[in-house]
Amino acid sequence: MNDWRNSITRRDMLKSVSAGFGYMAFAGLSSTHAASGSPLLPKPPHFRPKAKRVIFACMRGGPSHVDTFDHKPALARDNGKQLGKYRNRELMASPWEFAPHGQSGLMISELFPNLARHADDLCMLNGMYASVPAHPQSFIELHTGSFQFVRPSMGAWVLYGLGSENQNLPGFISLGPPSNVGGAQNYGSAFLPAYYQGTKIGEFNRPLRTASLRNLSNEHVTGNLQRKQLDFLQSLNRDLLARKRKSSQVEGVIESYELAFRMQSAVPELMNTGDETQATLDAYGIGNRATENFGSQCLLARRLAEAGVRFIEISQGNWDQHRNLNSTLTRNCEATDQPLAALLRDLKERGLLEETLVVWGGEFGRTPHAKQKDGRDHNATGFTFWMAGGGVKGGITHGATDEHGIAAVTDRMHFHDLHATILHLLGLDHEALTYQYAGRDFRLTNIHGNVAHDIIA
Amino acid sequence: MFLRITWKISVLGVALATAGAPGQAGAAEADAEGIAFFEKNIRPVLVENCYKCHSAEARDLKGDLFLDSKQGMLNGGESGPAIVPGQPFRSRLLRAIRRSGELKMPPKSKLPKRVVLNFTRWIKMGAPDPRSTERARPVKQSIDFEESRKFWSFVKPTQPSVPEIGDTAWPSNEIDHFILAKLEQNKLTPVRDASRRELIRRASFDLTGLPPTPEQVTGFLNDPSEDAFEKVIDELLKSPHFGEQWGRHWLDVARYSESNGMERNYTYPHAWRYRDYVIESFNRDKPFDQFVKEQVAGDLLGRGKRPPTDEQLIATGFLAIGPKPLNQGNDRLFSLEVIDEQIDATTRAFLGLTVACARCHDHKFDPIPTEDYYAMAGIFRSTDTLYGTANSQGNRQPADLHTVAASDDDRAERIRRHNSELRKAKRRLNSMRDEIEELRGKRRASSDDKASLRRLNRNLKTLQANVTDLEEKEPGANYAMGVRDGKISDVPVLIHGEIRNRGNMVERGFPQILGHVKSYPIGSRSSGRLQLASWITQDDNPLTSRVMANRIWKHLLGTGLVRTLDNFGSTGTAPTHPGLLDHLALRFVGNGWSVKSLIREIMLSRTYQLSNDTDDTNAAIDPGNRLLWRMNHKRLSAEALRDAMLATSGRLNPRPADGSLVAKLGDVNVGRALRELAQLQRKANDHRSVYLPVMRNAQPEMMRIFDAAEPSLIVGRRNETTVPTQALYLMNNSFVVGQAYSMAKRVMDDTESNRDGIRLAYKLAFAREADDDEITKAQKFMASASGEKDRPGQWTLLCQALLASAEFRYID
Repeated sequence: MNDWRNSITRRDMLKSVSAGFGYMAFAGLSSTHAASGSPLLPKPPHFRPKAKRVIFACMRGGPSHVDTFDHKPALARDNGKQLGKYRNRELMASPWEFAPHGQSGLMISELFPNLARHADDLCMLNGMYASVPAHPQSFIELHTGSFQFVRPSMGAWVLYGLGSENQNLPGFISLGPPSNVGGAQNYGSAFLPAYYQGTKIGEFNRPLRTASLRNLSNEHVTGNLQRKQLDFLQSLNRDLLARKRKSSQVEGVIESYELAFRMQSAVPELMNTGDETQATLDAYGIGNRATENFGSQCLLARRLAEAGVRFIEISQGNWDQHRNLNSTLTRNCEATDQPLAALLRDLKERGLLEETLVVWGGEFGRTPHAKQKDGRDHNATGFTFWMAGGGVKGGITHGATDEHGIAAVTDRMHFHDLHATILHLLGLDHEALTYQYAGRDFRLTNIHGNVAHDIIA
Repeated sequence: MFLRITWKISVLGVALATAGAPGQAGAAEADAEGIAFFEKNIRPVLVENCYKCHSAEARDLKGDLFLDSKQGMLNGGESGPAIVPGQPFRSRLLRAIRRSGELKMPPKSKLPKRVVLNFTRWIKMGAPDPRSTERARPVKQSIDFEESRKFWSFVKPTQPSVPEIGDTAWPSNEIDHFILAKLEQNKLTPVRDASRRELIRRASFDLTGLPPTPEQVTGFLNDPSEDAFEKVIDELLKSPHFGEQWGRHWLDVARYSESNGMERNYTYPHAWRYRDYVIESFNRDKPFDQFVKEQVAGDLLGRGKRPPTDEQLIATGFLAIGPKPLNQGNDRLFSLEVIDEQIDATTRAFLGLTVACARCHDHKFDPIPTEDYYAMAGIFRSTDTLYGTANSQGNRQPADLHTVAASDDDRAERIRRHNSELRKAKRRLNSMRDEIEELRGKRRASSDDKASLRRLNRNLKTLQANVTDLEEKEPGANYAMGVRDGKISDVPVLIHGEIRNRGNMVERGFPQILGHVKSYPIGSRSSGRLQLASWITQDDNPLTSRVMANRIWKHLLGTGLVRTLDNFGSTGTAPTHPGLLDHLALRFVGNGWSVKSLIREIMLSRTYQLSNDTDDTNAAIDPGNRLLWRMNHKRLSAEALRDAMLATSGRLNPRPADGSLVAKLGDVNVGRALRELAQLQRKANDHRSVYLPVMRNAQPEMMRIFDAAEPSLIVGRRNETTVPTQALYLMNNSFVVGQAYSMAKRVMDDTESNRDGIRLAYKLAFAREADDDEITKAQKFMASASGEKDRPGQWTLLCQALLASAEFRYID
């Protein structure tokens, strides 16, 4: 009955042999199997998964849905009118044109010309809503399911549920996450054991070029000398193990050093994109100032996905366009459009898209009306996320906002529903993925969450 | 099927009843019409769609709601009445079937529009319902407290008889009887006793979080007296480092932190006073009941005209240092969150009860109804929480602080600093005003000028606020976090925890499940915290003493008798040795709640003094060592690991740190102060780890990596993980390399030969001698690492390997 589970693990292992790290990774994996059973080893999901991993492109600030992925003709018609409920605020038509794309005819605005070519891969979630229209609360709710309490982040839950496919790398990596709006809480593990917490690489809105994992090298010794030192240290540990005859703790320490030593070479190897072709770098827009930063994140995300990292988050900030919508939204879309399109194509070409769930969205959307001309305000009652790959239907729209794009009205999806759906695609039942703490079983979705079955291929 | 039959029978019954009823024709006719309407259009729908979860026959009653009687519908369930006769739009039932609110019923299928219309009409008619004569159901299943009090942790501890054992020669004290009896029952034999070397390292780390000095080791090894270990224990209990180690255990439980965390993170620059209070309390062996009382109600402990002491005020910091959503603009919501956090901390830290589970509904597993939660909420609602925090745009909830006296020498210095700060700020303010004047006076202002004018005006406002702040502060005063009584009032139950959904008012009080513990009436003039404190610390409160005795046991033996240290409810684990737990709890109270006495007693048991050896026969029966046939292999905490490195390298500054670096940062947003903090830390970093800054979402790297307590949570037992990031830290971090380098220098300075050097290094790191094999191995390693003639380099590599080894990180 469990055959498919075993076969998946076997396939994963074979995969890691053929992928970048080659034999080392395989040896690492099998040796840890033999040892004490690290909590980060791959674990069978609850049921057959559609996706194996997640790349979450987090758009900090709340991107405007009515200017990008939620086409509202009525907004153009009623441009300049005041809605009864919102005095002193006029509806503002989107300054950008929408057009149908792909065979599906998905409506996407001219701000995303490259991404639009992948229309038939995109699953538009136009009926999203959240609890609070304030950045920090909503950002934390998006990441942990609760803005009131300190709870584990989505990536930590996923790692807890599934383990990682590559023991030489952290299983949950967040590239350049913001340090405010909750900071480390957004990739933290709260009451889950610390090995499930996300590992941060790089700083928010700063180029990835110089970023790396901390403590990855020792400037005082050469690699050779350090290996000798490690051999000596491990002999001390093995002597202790021999004296103890049996100790899972000491075994764990020995194992952790071997893994660490392999990480020291695996991580820089992965971060160094020198082995990518110029064509690939160009495709991601690396070398072009406008797209450099997010392009490098997307490329690295693909490399991490390929290496078997379970949950990868990438970030782009400055979507908070109360003013200067015309110029700044254009700039943001320009910075992300080409890299996102490249990521989807690259994943597809490598056969990874079908097993990698790509999720795009921010803490909320923006109002179709505004106090200022050329700006939009926070809107948590209706906005858009999209997904691609990972077992979701492409070229479809799920959920909708009202005619002006103010509030989600059909097939509404709260963050809890988003979480439930992501877990479901990964083969996890959000009601069964629990951890006991402080006298009760906790879930990512607390007591909420409905899986959006309609979007699953 | 069964339901349908029942329905038909009752229809028949009702029909007979109405037919035979005399009365005024008109009214009766209307009634009959209404009832006919009910029978035709309403009852079948209820039976078909609702009774499965909302009737006496329901296997699993949902929402405490009965829809199978008139009274049940009027009374309603958890969220209030289901219908309001005559007012369809105030009727929850209708809202649910129209699916217009959060609650959508029936859960799986939508009722047809026609049916919804019928319900609307029926409620408008006044909801005629013949079922009033049918049996009314109890509205709510109430908790049988008498019965619930039979659960082990609610039963008051009684002195258990010391169990009979076979090997009467083995025990050192009564504790051992309890342990050995269980071992014998399970055919387990205790392993050998620990050696003196093992024992002194263990005792030293357990009591002070520091390794023994080579002199302490030699002294103990050469002491021929019977009570040599007793002397070691007493010496360690007297050390000022005891409070640092055991205070830190308490700070884990107290979710001690120097910032509020959450979405906008501001410093608590005065939190460290609470930290020092805790350390001092453990050092003085303050009776634990008094310690608890001060933390819950220290501000109310003044007698007659004598006001509470500063120490008592500072103690109440316990209630103020929790995480807070300072960005919350709604005062009432904010206050509810603070109260919730206070209830959670108070009940779990002292009582091992998870009362906060009952905020939105009765506790699912323990006998704690929602009313009990709101009875406690009233106590904290009548309390003002004083936590300060920066005046800033993102902080919508800054608060007051306690003012406490400064020591005299401190005071002069503080006044001087305060005045110079004020002078400086005023000078800046004046020059800024001049600049603004000048810009305004310009005839032709460039766009640059306009921009700087805007900037200056903005800065002027902040600076002005700063100056006002400084002027209002009393120079030379010190501040502390804490609580004081506020406006006294009870609070209503909030149904489902929702602020707009008010239920009945609840009198302030304590969880009823512990109603058999003596308590004092709260009255209308006090918050009730004093009564709460005295109720928690009654000698016969079955939880307080057990919970603390269990915590002490855990820190010495590695696991608790009850493994879930902060949860003694039904979802927690039962004690492995219930008799022993009661014995310890009673001894604890009997010795005047003395923590040190209990520690001493446990350490003098033979159980504590067992070795960590494994044994195949025992391991086959009890692989997890639950019954304690050997000592658990304990790991150094993050703090102890860092402190042990500092001690081994000789760089430890053993004096307590003066305040906290967070106090030096002042009232700021944590995210903006991290760089400054890093600079401050570069200067002085050699005090013990308990004095490191502990800010939420910004813990020091080493603490975070080595599983220090998450400061937003109540942590009785820390996670213990072994992961590559720890190995990377030990291999590469400059702190570790620095300690290794200092240790190398120390070794080289103090010894002549390589051999002696290696010996000393082992003694410092492991508190034991190196054997010949080990010395040879180490020499070989050093030789192989001598590409160049860099002696300090070789020694550093060796010392770092020792500091990074498993033996250094674990306690035998």
